[in-house]
Amino acid sequence: MNPFDELGLAITRRHFFGLGRLGIGGAALASLMAETVERDPKTHGLTGLPHFPAKAKRVILLHQSGGPSQLDLFDYKPQLTKRQGTELPDSIRMGQRITGMTSGQSSLPVASSRFQFTQCGQAGTWCSQLLPYTSKVLDEITVIKTVHTEAINHDPAITFFQSGSQQPGRPSMGAWVSYGLGSENENLPAFVVLVSQQHSLNVDQPLFSRLWGPGFLPSSYQGVKFRSGGDPVLFLSDPAGIEKDTRRQMLDAVNKLNQIKREAYGDPEIDARISQYEMAYRMQTSVPELMDLSKEPDSTFEMYGPEVRKRGSYAANCLLARRLAERGVRFIQLYHRGWDQHNDLPRDLALQCRGTDQPTAALIQDLKQRGLLEDTLVVWGGEFGRTVYCQGKLTEANYGRDHHPRNFCMWLAGGGTKRGFTLGETDDFSYNITQDPVHVHDLQATILHCLGIDHKRLTYKFQGRHFRLTDVHGELVKPILA
Amino acid sequence: MQSFRLGLLGLSILTLRAEVSFNRDIRPIMSDTCFRCHGPDKSSRMMNLRLDIREEALKPNRAGVSPIVPGDPDKSNIIRRIFAANPAQIMPPKAAHKELTEAQKRTIRQWVAEGAKYEGHWAYSPVRRPAAPTEGNPIDSFVLARLAKEGLTASAAADKITQIRRVTLDLTGLPPAPDEVKAFLADDSAGAWTRVVDRLLASPRYAEKQALLWLDAVRYADTCGFHGDNPWPAWPYRDYVLRSFRDNKPFDQFTREQLAGDFLSGVDAWTGSAYNRMTRTSAEGGLQPKEYLAKYGADRVRTTSNVWLGSTMGCAECHDHKFDPFTQKDFYSMKAFFADIKETGLVPDRGKNAWGSLLALPTAAQRDELAELRARIEEMERRMAAQTPPVPAGLLDDVKAGKLAWQFPRPLTAASQNGSKLTIYNEEPLDSMYDFRGSLVSEKKPGHGTIAASGPNPDNETYTVTFKPGAGKWTALGLEVIQDESLPGMRVARGADRFVLTGFEAAVNGRPIPLVLATDNVLYPVPEHPVMAVLDADPATGWGVTMYGEGRNVFLALRLGAPLETSESDVIAIRLRHDSKYRRAVLGRFRVAVSAATYAWPGTTAIGSRDRKTDEEGLPEEALAALKVPAARRTAEESKALAEYLVWASPEFQASEIELANLRARRDMLNAQIPRVVYSDRTEPEITRVLARGNFMDDSGEVVKPAIPAFLGKLPSANPTRLDLANWLVSADNPLTARVFVNRMWREFFGQGLSKALDDLGSQGEWPTHQEVLDWLAAEFMLPRYQGEGAHAWDVKHLIRTIVLSDTYRQSSLPRPEVKAKDPENRLLARQNRFRVDAEIVRDIALASSGLLVEKFGGPSVRPVQPDGYLAALNFPKRDYSASRGDDLHRRSLYTFWQRSFLHPALLAFDAPTREECAVNRVTSNTPLQALVLLNDPEFVEAARVFAQNTLAQGGGSLSQRINWTFQRAVQRPPTAAEAQVLTGLYRKSLARFKASPERARQFIGVGEAPAAAKANPVDLAAMMTVTRAVLNMHETVTRN
Repeated sequence: MNPFDELGLAITRRHFFGLGRLGIGGAALASLMAETVERDPKTHGLTGLPHFPAKAKRVILLHQSGGPSQLDLFDYKPQLTKRQGTELPDSIRMGQRITGMTSGQSSLPVASSRFQFTQCGQAGTWCSQLLPYTSKVLDEITVIKTVHTEAINHDPAITFFQSGSQQPGRPSMGAWVSYGLGSENENLPAFVVLVSQQHSLNVDQPLFSRLWGPGFLPSSYQGVKFRSGGDPVLFLSDPAGIEKDTRRQMLDAVNKLNQIKREAYGDPEIDARISQYEMAYRMQTSVPELMDLSKEPDSTFEMYGPEVRKRGSYAANCLLARRLAERGVRFIQLYHRGWDQHNDLPRDLALQCRGTDQPTAALIQDLKQRGLLEDTLVVWGGEFGRTVYCQGKLTEANYGRDHHPRNFCMWLAGGGTKRGFTLGETDDFSYNITQDPVHVHDLQATILHCLGIDHKRLTYKFQGRHFRLTDVHGELVKPILA
Repeated sequence: MQSFRLGLLGLSILTLRAEVSFNRDIRPIMSDTCFRCHGPDKSSRMMNLRLDIREEALKPNRAGVSPIVPGDPDKSNIIRRIFAANPAQIMPPKAAHKELTEAQKRTIRQWVAEGAKYEGHWAYSPVRRPAAPTEGNPIDSFVLARLAKEGLTASAAADKITQIRRVTLDLTGLPPAPDEVKAFLADDSAGAWTRVVDRLLASPRYAEKQALLWLDAVRYADTCGFHGDNPWPAWPYRDYVLRSFRDNKPFDQFTREQLAGDFLSGVDAWTGSAYNRMTRTSAEGGLQPKEYLAKYGADRVRTTSNVWLGSTMGCAECHDHKFDPFTQKDFYSMKAFFADIKETGLVPDRGKNAWGSLLALPTAAQRDELAELRARIEEMERRMAAQTPPVPAGLLDDVKAGKLAWQFPRPLTAASQNGSKLTIYNEEPLDSMYDFRGSLVSEKKPGHGTIAASGPNPDNETYTVTFKPGAGKWTALGLEVIQDESLPGMRVARGADRFVLTGFEAAVNGRPIPLVLATDNVLYPVPEHPVMAVLDADPATGWGVTMYGEGRNVFLALRLGAPLETSESDVIAIRLRHDSKYRRAVLGRFRVAVSAATYAWPGTTAIGSRDRKTDEEGLPEEALAALKVPAARRTAEESKALAEYLVWASPEFQASEIELANLRARRDMLNAQIPRVVYSDRTEPEITRVLARGNFMDDSGEVVKPAIPAFLGKLPSANPTRLDLANWLVSADNPLTARVFVNRMWREFFGQGLSKALDDLGSQGEWPTHQEVLDWLAAEFMLPRYQGEGAHAWDVKHLIRTIVLSDTYRQSSLPRPEVKAKDPENRLLARQNRFRVDAEIVRDIALASSGLLVEKFGGPSVRPVQPDGYLAALNFPKRDYSASRGDDLHRRSLYTFWQRSFLHPALLAFDAPTREECAVNRVTSNTPLQALVLLNDPEFVEAARVFAQNTLAQGGGSLSQRINWTFQRAVQRPPTAAEAQVLTGLYRKSLARFKASPERARQFIGVGEAPAAAKANPVDLAAMMTVTRAVLNMHETVTRN
């Protein structure tokens, strides 16, 4: 056997990406490794992936930044009204850490939810009055009441949720997915990020580019942020005075110049450069087309609500998420801020829900009516939950809640998850999990599973270790799978 | 094929040798597939079997079966297990997802058959200088010998243009100037190459290039990294690194200063100790100090072990290392070295205690002037503190009656100079949204005299507002700055991260009103912008507020030189100037106020208090509280607060108040000019414990003392310090530092390390392709012997010089089929490599080729242009970006303000690390976003424009001369006929287009702030600009060949 055939078979592509500085664009790999195609030529996903048949082809992650209050949305605790104002029992708190914002309070009084809960849909899923639209689509949804995380402050917690580690430098979930599965649309990036503009009455927690960053993966896998003002993608527009025809002339010239060198040097990196310029050119058409809502029927606008016409709003981004999903974008990550109700929760959470409930439910409905919910996994939730005890002054009408990482609610819909299902139980105070804990790593493992990825096998060697999204943890949450 | 083995790494294919080497062949396989369960970490060890130590691996188990029987694979249990057909028996087990290839299995079998000889890990063995031939550069001898063994030959030297472009980019990060190329081409003498190299090594640009690698590794950045990610004083440390490279500071001293500068003397060493403080810090409300102290300490261990030891000690934070012999105790013992650094878990990002320990770096003149100012201020303060003016009768009643309250007249007109739209909201309703005690209030209420700016948003602006104060006798004018969520600059300004009011002028019926004393109610004054600066004659200085943490509307009170009497018909005009260097640091919403009281202190208006105004205003809060206490019962503090206020307000002290305020302003502005840097300040060491599973809440772990990793030795001192650690890192006892540094330097000149894993020389890393080269250079680095005249120990320039003077370095990078076939990754260096330059250099090449580059060594970080709204997702505080002005727009990219959470987009697109963590191996990607940056980022379009201007002015008269000139500037060679033809065609087509629509030409050439060419015809310039833009977008332009 020719030893170099064997070489070609043996070199796994991660070693090529381990090249560091001598990077080789995806397009060039095939020519360099004639005997074996390590990346699918069409999607540029890793060969061998998905590991098993995928139920979901793509993910829409509706990240609600700040920490939505599970106690006022999905984790119904009727017993708490009786305990209103009483001290959180030590037997419940069990000496767990609390944040510096309430650790100085002389008292940790129980604040029951001011909101009414009802059982909704065929499945009878509990849901608060704050989410009238969501409650109508709960039969499509699995609510997990027992997600838990490791961090108690925003920055590390949101970093942990997105990358599986509190430390910066690890790839974000979307980066892992686009690294593993590649793209299904050659005119759009595989991983798109939308940050909605605030409409709420709450102080926003900051976001960071690391949340959609590539970590140690090549930056080709980072999320591309679509902006709500100016160019939808940075530097997408031609300079003033340049129009489509002159753009093409210029690009043709650059490509020709590069081609001349390509012929002289035989350097596959030049092929990659040429193809990236072509992709950029295509994005200059495909992105404006994506952003253009003029061909959407009126019914769409009615469904997503009045804010949908405002570029950058949460509603507009939910609609864009559907349009991205239609175009086969692999990982669509929304960020919506303003869920950090340390005080004035009854007023501010109600406002926050008013701004998000209708578009969120519309997205589910819209995906369903277009037959996309089948293979699109939608995930809703924040980086942690909120405490049963009141932060600040507890009155009959008003309360606030601090950060609570020990249990919080998230929901999933479509993409191979169960319809109309609730998982997990917490104690009477929604303070501890009593049944079916779901760690963030478990959730991540499950999201990857829906995409046909074994989270233990999607790894990348960095600093001498095969890293993965779920670190060395993560158990599949089987009960929520359809 | 018996000798052929295939390791996990493609490299092993090249090692066609008879005998298996443990280090080269076996350790990489075992480390990856066996050590997780049968390696150093006892907590995850299975069946009590260890394969990383020979005697352990030979021990029979209780059943008498030996894992390894040297020389007898058939009796060795590991061989039986790895070749097992039964899935339940096979090793590694299925669940581990670590399958051995058939070739790997055969290799292990052969190794056992050959006696299962273990070797200590290569990187942990002492550095021994390999014997090198006496003739020539040893690098070449080693490389050639290895090539010969594989039946390959080295490539010929690259052509001279490629050589000089390569070495100039590699050493200085800039392309060579045309005359430098010309001189080298003309110089056929023997020492030509050496002279080029020595010229480049002597240039300060050398430091600006080499510092990049170090700044990534030590995670240098201009912001703190966590949560609000606010700017912190760090750039003097960057300059320290620059000076160290420029002056060729011995690397051992460089090491000592950074890890333990506070143990040494001299400002330079102390500045170096900022290394310990580059860890990300948090000021997030509600954090648990202990948890964050644990994070900071762990970061220092990760960084230090990676920077100097090339080791991944971070893995041992929660458990013993899985692959290398670092124990968890080693991790915490290393952390203990840093336990004496004075710090808090929550590192304040504003106010007097911001950023903890700061080192001030004044010049001698600044120090003297500051001391003098301080002495004068102190003296005056003492004098005035002795005054206790009587409390005027009826003051409290006046306060309660609202007589000291500011009045807000309704403006008549509001006009702007540079186009902002000003709207007056008197009784008209105004939408507003503001932060009130942590949550937002949204309301629509009459503006009561509010003026709001909208529309065009110029960098600088002057507002003129007129109003009729009515009949009265006035003592002061006021300005209330109104916060609103809609304002991107700290909720008060239309941009930037502050507002700066550089002038406040007033006139009544056209007659100037003298203003003598400015006072504000700001909680966190910005030294750069003291309130009195609003009245000084300097148009650049002013009253500025960043608003972070103010929590209320700030207010400016301006005392009139003399009371002003007005009648009903008199009109007052005030002019608000915003002429600072900060762009758009212009007020968004404000009200003007007047006071008739003698004693009106800046209004303490809470945000949103416009309708809830208490009448009890006009005094500082402390003074008002004191006033309410009967005189006899006032505490000393209360009396003091009251007396200070009365002195401020009493006409008899006015002259002194003004003098004092001016002195304080001078002091503050001087202070603001003095660079400061976070640095290591020593304190009593905190107790360090082993944290079980890294849990900061667990206080049960063993207490540890500072120690180096046990398997690497033991320090002689009973209580070793950071200085002892630093000394050990650069001692002959440590096998790693020199190898790690040399390996990383190699990447700068060949595109990849001799061991590819720059971040890990441990057992999961890669056996170096040329260990002799690595070890010889490491030895030479520590103690020069080869052409070492004038070189010193740990001589970085000598190391680099030795590399670039080698023939190996000067080879052509053109691929050769036989090399490609045998060595597709070019690990054996039968040719040079070609790679895209690093992010900073991508932009620097465009700046240099176009002629835009402004070179200035060191100094505060600069802010090149970046897209609007790029920082919109940040908060605490909400801020906008204010690009620098003039020269600072075109400085080398290493001076770009490094915002960790949102790095400048052009740098990020080209793989610059965010420096949130230590980064020692930049990957190089090739993405559509890079194409968009090079094509459309206004910085690059501006470069194309100025490039075209210079081409027209200097590039000769004919098109072909001009194309030639452009090409030479960017890639240093003339274009081929085919290339010239492409560009000629592009020029002609563009010219026709722009002739047809000259308006488009004018738009195209309007990008950027660099001066336009006075004489150029817009159509010609635009057409030439398409040519320069194409040249700047060529793959070759951003590639080092």
